[in-house]
Amino acid sequence: MQSGGRRSTVRKIVVAGVLGAIITLLGYLGPAGPGFIPVPTPAQHATTLHVPVIIGAILEGPIVGLVLGLIFGIFSWLQAGILGVVMFQDPLVAILPRLFIGITAWAAYAAFRRTGKYAALILAGSLLVICGTFVYWALSVNALLAVVLGIVLLALIAGFVFLALRENRELQALILSGAVGTLTNTILVLTMLVVRGYLPPEAALVAGLTNGIPEIIVACIIVVAVVGAWKGIETRRAGSTV
Amino acid sequence: MTEYSAFSHLTIGQYLPYSSVVHRLDPRAKLVMFTLLVAAVTFANSYTASVVLLAVLLGVVHLSRTPLRYALQGLRPALPWIAVFALLQLLFYRNPYGPDACSTIWSWGFIDITSCSIRQIGLMILRLLEFMILISLLTLTTRTTELTHGLERLLSPLKRLRFPAHELALVFAISLRFAPTLAGELERIMKAQASRGADFGEQGRLGFIKRTRNLLPLLVPLFLSALRRAEDLTLAMEARGYTGGRGRTSFIQLKVLPSDYLALALVFIFCAIILLGGLESIDQQVFTAVSDCASNVFGFVRR
Repeated sequence: MQSGGRRSTVRKIVVAGVLGAIITLLGYLGPAGPGFIPVPTPAQHATTLHVPVIIGAILEGPIVGLVLGLIFGIFSWLQAGILGVVMFQDPLVAILPRLFIGITAWAAYAAFRRTGKYAALILAGSLLVICGTFVYWALSVNALLAVVLGIVLLALIAGFVFLALRENRELQALILSGAVGTLTNTILVLTMLVVRGYLPPEAALVAGLTNGIPEIIVACIIVVAVVGAWKGIETRRAGSTV
Repeated sequence: MTEYSAFSHLTIGQYLPYSSVVHRLDPRAKLVMFTLLVAAVTFANSYTASVVLLAVLLGVVHLSRTPLRYALQGLRPALPWIAVFALLQLLFYRNPYGPDACSTIWSWGFIDITSCSIRQIGLMILRLLEFMILISLLTLTTRTTELTHGLERLLSPLKRLRFPAHELALVFAISLRFAPTLAGELERIMKAQASRGADFGEQGRLGFIKRTRNLLPLLVPLFLSALRRAEDLTLAMEARGYTGGRGRTSFIQLKVLPSDYLALALVFIFCAIILLGGLESIDQQVFTAVSDCASNVFGFVRR
């Protein structure tokens, strides 16, 4: 189904629209539908609503990712106003952070697919510096949390380097893109919650760690399965159709 | 099987077809007013401003003839969240204004309840109420098609700066149009998989990876059929010579009436007062008056 040649604007519009419809549908069905997966954390559910944003960004580029992030943000904001989900009733929390999901997910995907070994190592190095600064900031809030956070981030970076040094790039790029997109969502939303004064920093860190990790895993599984099936990449579970 | 059939009765938006002043406003004017009011609510940082905003919004709800319980239908599910957020703020709040800015009301162990944390919680609750009413008002009084048309027209001056206003509105329109179609698709997939013995029930929270994998036979066909529909639609649009927004005329013509300008002006002035009117000083005066009064009463009682 892939067309060769230049991606047309029409295709971008339509793909963004249709994936936006999936966001709307999954969000509308709420926790009863397949869009939310029960997890053992205080937030009760890992959301998968940002997955169409990541998929759109991977398939059609950053602009489509941005537009889908906007749809996701506006929808979760409107939904929060109607259903009473307190934290997303503020547009600065609900909409602004979501704009970046698609952009970072696309950047991770594109960068990883094109980089060679050395570029990947440089990327991992800069990631290490950024995460180090973040952990240093977290250390001033709570030492134990900072240690846990440091270990998790180190494991992620180690995983990244490991993936970067292997051959078949497509699959690893998808995993990385899913993880980066989800991380962007979690970190930016929680940061905005702290900045806007809804949550104290400690609570945000705990929420980020407990809910962020299951969401990353869930998002990676779905992104790999869907994009893999669409592009015809060999995954263990090829896409089943009706 | 019946548990899967509810999906196809999907209505996006919650429009109530009444006839009122608010319903009859031009969608463009409504969107501008909505944005202004959202900005006012987002940045209002004093009790006075918040209370005035809340009162005005309740007035508009009355004007729109919408039952108040519709506008506040999100309140009851929101209450536990509000309680949790308020508790977290009480326990962990550190004031960023320095030790002199807040007076401690009650302190026990590491818990300090200060005037600042109370203020934070009060403003948060007021702000959430206002957002709830605003969003409900917009969606209860405006059709989604009106909203997308309004958005396109509103953004069309930006086309000169190569901003894709028409394209963006088209994306929104496709999203709204396809959501029910995909709901039907999802229902079909669920029935098909259930007839093959798939189980989408609760699995316990610890098995979330397993549950995600169980959902894949649902989500993968849903995404693939959506993407396939996108291919078809792209082909159809290109075959019919779709060239984007340039030179396109519209079936629905929006007309701005004097009442729209009047409402717009009123909201604009109101938001300017809320945001730039220095209402914090009134807070301060009311606060001093109340604390004076309280100390007088307590002094009287003690005497």
